[in-house]
Amino acid sequence: MWRLSLSNALAHRSRLALTWLAVALGVAFVAGSLVLTDTSTRLLDEQFRTTAAGVDLTVRGAAAFDAAMGVEVARDPLPADLAERVAGTAGVDRVRPVASGPGQLQVRGTAVEPAGPTILGTWAEAPFTAYTLRAGHAPHGEEVVLDAATAADHGIAVGDTVTVSATASRPLRVVGLTGIGDGDGLTNSTVVLVDLPTAQTLLDLGSGVTAVDVIAADGVAVPDLRADLAAALGAQYAVTGGQDAAAASADAAKESINYLRIVLLALAAAGLVVGAFLIANTFGIVLTHRARELALLRAAGATGRQVLGLVLGEALLVGLTGAAGGTAVGVGAAYALRGFASSAGLALPDGPLTVTVRTLVVGLVAGTLITLLAALGPARRAARTAPVEAMRVSDPAPAGPRRGRLITGWILLGLGVVQLGTAALLRQIVGVGLGAVLLLAALVVLGPVLAPRLAQAVGRPLTGLGVPGQLARESIVRNPRRTAATAMALALGLALISFVAVLGSSVKAIGASSTEAITADLLVQSSRDEMLGGLSPEVAARVAALPEVAATSSVRFGHWLDGDMTSALTAVDPATLPQVADVQMTGGALAALDGGGVVLAADVAAERGLTVGDTLAMTFSRDGEQRLRVVGLMADDSARALSTSYVLSLGTYAQHFSENVDATVYVALADGVGPAAARTALRAAVADFPNAEVLDQAEAAAGRAAAVGQVLGLITVLLGFAVLIALLGITNTLALSIVERTREIGLLRAVGMTRAQLSWMVRAEAVLIAAVAVVTGVALGLGLAAATLAGLSADNALVIEVPVGQLLAVVATAVLAGLVAGLLPARRAARLDVLTAIATQ
Amino acid sequence: MTVTDPQLAPPPQTRPAIAARAVDVVKTYGRGEAAVRALDSASVAIPAGEFTAVMGPSGSGKSTLIHALAGLDGIDAGQVFIGDTDLTTLAERDRTLLRRERLGFVFQAFNLIPALTAAENIALPLTLAGKRPDPAWMNELVHMLGLANRLDHRPGQLSGGQQQRVAVGRALIARPELVFADEPTGNLDSRSGAALLAFLRDAARTYGQTIVMVTHDPVAAAYADRVVFLADGRIVDELTDPTAETVLARLAGLDATRLDEPVGA
Repeated sequence: MWRLSLSNALAHRSRLALTWLAVALGVAFVAGSLVLTDTSTRLLDEQFRTTAAGVDLTVRGAAAFDAAMGVEVARDPLPADLAERVAGTAGVDRVRPVASGPGQLQVRGTAVEPAGPTILGTWAEAPFTAYTLRAGHAPHGEEVVLDAATAADHGIAVGDTVTVSATASRPLRVVGLTGIGDGDGLTNSTVVLVDLPTAQTLLDLGSGVTAVDVIAADGVAVPDLRADLAAALGAQYAVTGGQDAAAASADAAKESINYLRIVLLALAAAGLVVGAFLIANTFGIVLTHRARELALLRAAGATGRQVLGLVLGEALLVGLTGAAGGTAVGVGAAYALRGFASSAGLALPDGPLTVTVRTLVVGLVAGTLITLLAALGPARRAARTAPVEAMRVSDPAPAGPRRGRLITGWILLGLGVVQLGTAALLRQIVGVGLGAVLLLAALVVLGPVLAPRLAQAVGRPLTGLGVPGQLARESIVRNPRRTAATAMALALGLALISFVAVLGSSVKAIGASSTEAITADLLVQSSRDEMLGGLSPEVAARVAALPEVAATSSVRFGHWLDGDMTSALTAVDPATLPQVADVQMTGGALAALDGGGVVLAADVAAERGLTVGDTLAMTFSRDGEQRLRVVGLMADDSARALSTSYVLSLGTYAQHFSENVDATVYVALADGVGPAAARTALRAAVADFPNAEVLDQAEAAAGRAAAVGQVLGLITVLLGFAVLIALLGITNTLALSIVERTREIGLLRAVGMTRAQLSWMVRAEAVLIAAVAVVTGVALGLGLAAATLAGLSADNALVIEVPVGQLLAVVATAVLAGLVAGLLPARRAARLDVLTAIATQ
Repeated sequence: MTVTDPQLAPPPQTRPAIAARAVDVVKTYGRGEAAVRALDSASVAIPAGEFTAVMGPSGSGKSTLIHALAGLDGIDAGQVFIGDTDLTTLAERDRTLLRRERLGFVFQAFNLIPALTAAENIALPLTLAGKRPDPAWMNELVHMLGLANRLDHRPGQLSGGQQQRVAVGRALIARPELVFADEPTGNLDSRSGAALLAFLRDAARTYGQTIVMVTHDPVAAAYADRVVFLADGRIVDELTDPTAETVLARLAGLDATRLDEPVGA
């Protein structure tokens, strides 16, 4: 049987070629995603370990959690004498006080903006660090050492003067260039190293430090020393292994890569599922062609099980070779994905690719398994072939859906719709996911019932276009299972694309509507993500001092733990906020924040069952769980304007957070001051803060929308890949159905159908399948997007924005692509020799 | 059934006396050692208004001749005329249009488009050309063929005999100059076959419809006005007003001459 499988697969290789391609493409995507994220993770690990080389233990301020949303939390500065206390502990050989934090670098008036952070750190000599001077000498006083990679990228040489800023800003002379470990620098980061006093000045730490690095004395076990130190210093301080601290830093940086991995693998899975439809379809059609041959085998004594084995053997061959090819291609795909990601603003470390055994196994297993599963249905049908069918003269009509399938399908559909609707109304995202799965399962089961009906409705205009149009519609309706599988594959891809489009435009709409409650004329914002360096408080002070400015109000953001979930909060100045924003309170008062406590968005309060006077437990990294009194409730629009549903005063914020930077400074201008003149004045005032950007509301909103657009653009491009596989499916199905309909086509040609009419007919079939997919896909995408937005808006009011233009573009593209997918089969049909077609053998 | 309205009958006087002609047609399949000369300088004239049967042993070139005459297949040398039109000078598209407008076909099997009803299958050559069938002619045809209450049925719901009668209806609907029938009764039982052949003969007699039929069955050939015999790619004999017995006798003679030929000739 196995040899028969092999020779069959080889004999049908042209028919299985597109199936093979679909498996290979899907697997390439999976393998590429794994290789890319593995590589990025490994490179980040290496970098962080390198920077911590030589350090046994690190003492820092205690924190309830290390990192939130991909950013390490800021910790309290340590008192200056702590280094001495640590040094005095038995078993400690040497200590080094360190001051480090986010900074900015300006060269010749231009800010250096790497994709990742600019790290302002303290220079250290061996054995504490892996810094290796490439040129010049160590920094002292008004001097700085930069990483060699940044220097090379920006044409900085020893002797140049650059501006380094954190809380304060200083011009410093470059006296050295350093490598880090074996590398020239850290990927996507800029490293700026100064001596300890300069770092303390720039970071406004006074005499404090951010960490104390420790090297244990010879013969002292590091774990023992760690316990001793922890006991000696008390719970206020955290003592971690040097490599552990590095690992924690790496974990924070890797969080975004983990998100990327999930997104990429989800998209790859979509591609594989779409491919599975194609595989099932191809096997179904090829096996129908071979029904007589299989019946002959059965008549000759093969058992149904043997036929099943035969077909699955062929599937195994296709799956295994396709997966092997795909895995090999996947390594190349990793490069392409890295390029895509960086064009969407997701910077990943550059370096040699990591191909793990796991990647190879996952690629091979995923490809083989999906092929086998997809072929199982057709194989079981083939195994049921009765031996008498070998004697049948005419081809059997395609079987209609069975009753059991109908009942299962409708039940699933009902459950899915109810689940989705309920979850959307209750704003539960998990429930929405479950509903989506049920709905998709229902569509797969009901596809052969729904697709022909839909095709009949959508294809109505075709019947007015003569016999070719009528025949095109008929042949699509005639093969329910085939039409369903082909259309469903494309519909799935299109559903995901419309889903992303609706989600994206709704998120943008939420962003745009948030500006409505803000009345500020201008705002000063960190040009970087505020997590990579916010605005020094000096910025707000200078702006406030300008005669053009009537009022300013600063806003800060922070992370907190809400049970197990990381959440965000906003800190405002209740006294000045009303001058730059129109905050609508539905209960309590904003001014009450002065006495501590928290203001909640009204719908969040309702959901949590909280009202003014109740308390809310919030866990902060700096001081753990705190109970804050709810002092006011604000309208949902106002909450959106302030970006989060939880608002503290700046004073309360300072108690719970170490960060001392503003995210945004809102500015109200004095009467009679023109915006242009005011901008000029503001820009001049903050000129030496390279990350301070002066914007108006529209520009700020556009910036946010662009960032969302970039990421969604990346996802859409990658989804286009799934659509490509689905289009291959249309080409494949039609090409196979042309082979199947050779006689019919020959007859049509004999009685006078021209080649033009014939190829028109085939193209119309392709477009009709695409049209069925478009209707299903867009409807599905819209429904799922609406439900998902409802599910996600637990914290905010529901906003659904349907991007009509974008969706119309998707529809037009898909139909056009259907036309293109039909070109090859149409050509093939038109070229069919009339005589071979009507030859009766 | 007889014709009551003379206008329904095609006007035979406007047709040339010869409906189709093959002149020294050569057709070779394959190349080199494997080459088979299916037609070897075959010449034949099909008189208009007659029912002609083409007979011959397997491999004598019957089907190739009819395919060449119908413009379904190209030829290597010689000329083929439908009326005065030289098919060898026509482009593929023009040949298709000629088939659609001037010829009709009945094949042995797979004659109908499964997705279309009987009525739609009959009208197919006209609808492909963007025309509608003449209702009176359609009505007469379906009554004569006994299909009046089967028009809405799909091919799958019709018996083999009914299917072939629908195919005959389709061949006649456009009142073609020439109808080609390739073993039209090959898949039918003898009763259905006899009915179909009688209908073809009536069409020739009543409407002056020119019909060329390929068959290997002497009984079927006996329905024709004239029988043309093929052997080894050439016309070797002809018989008018045949009966099953005379056809069988000629065929036996053909086989005898073939057996007399030296091996490898």
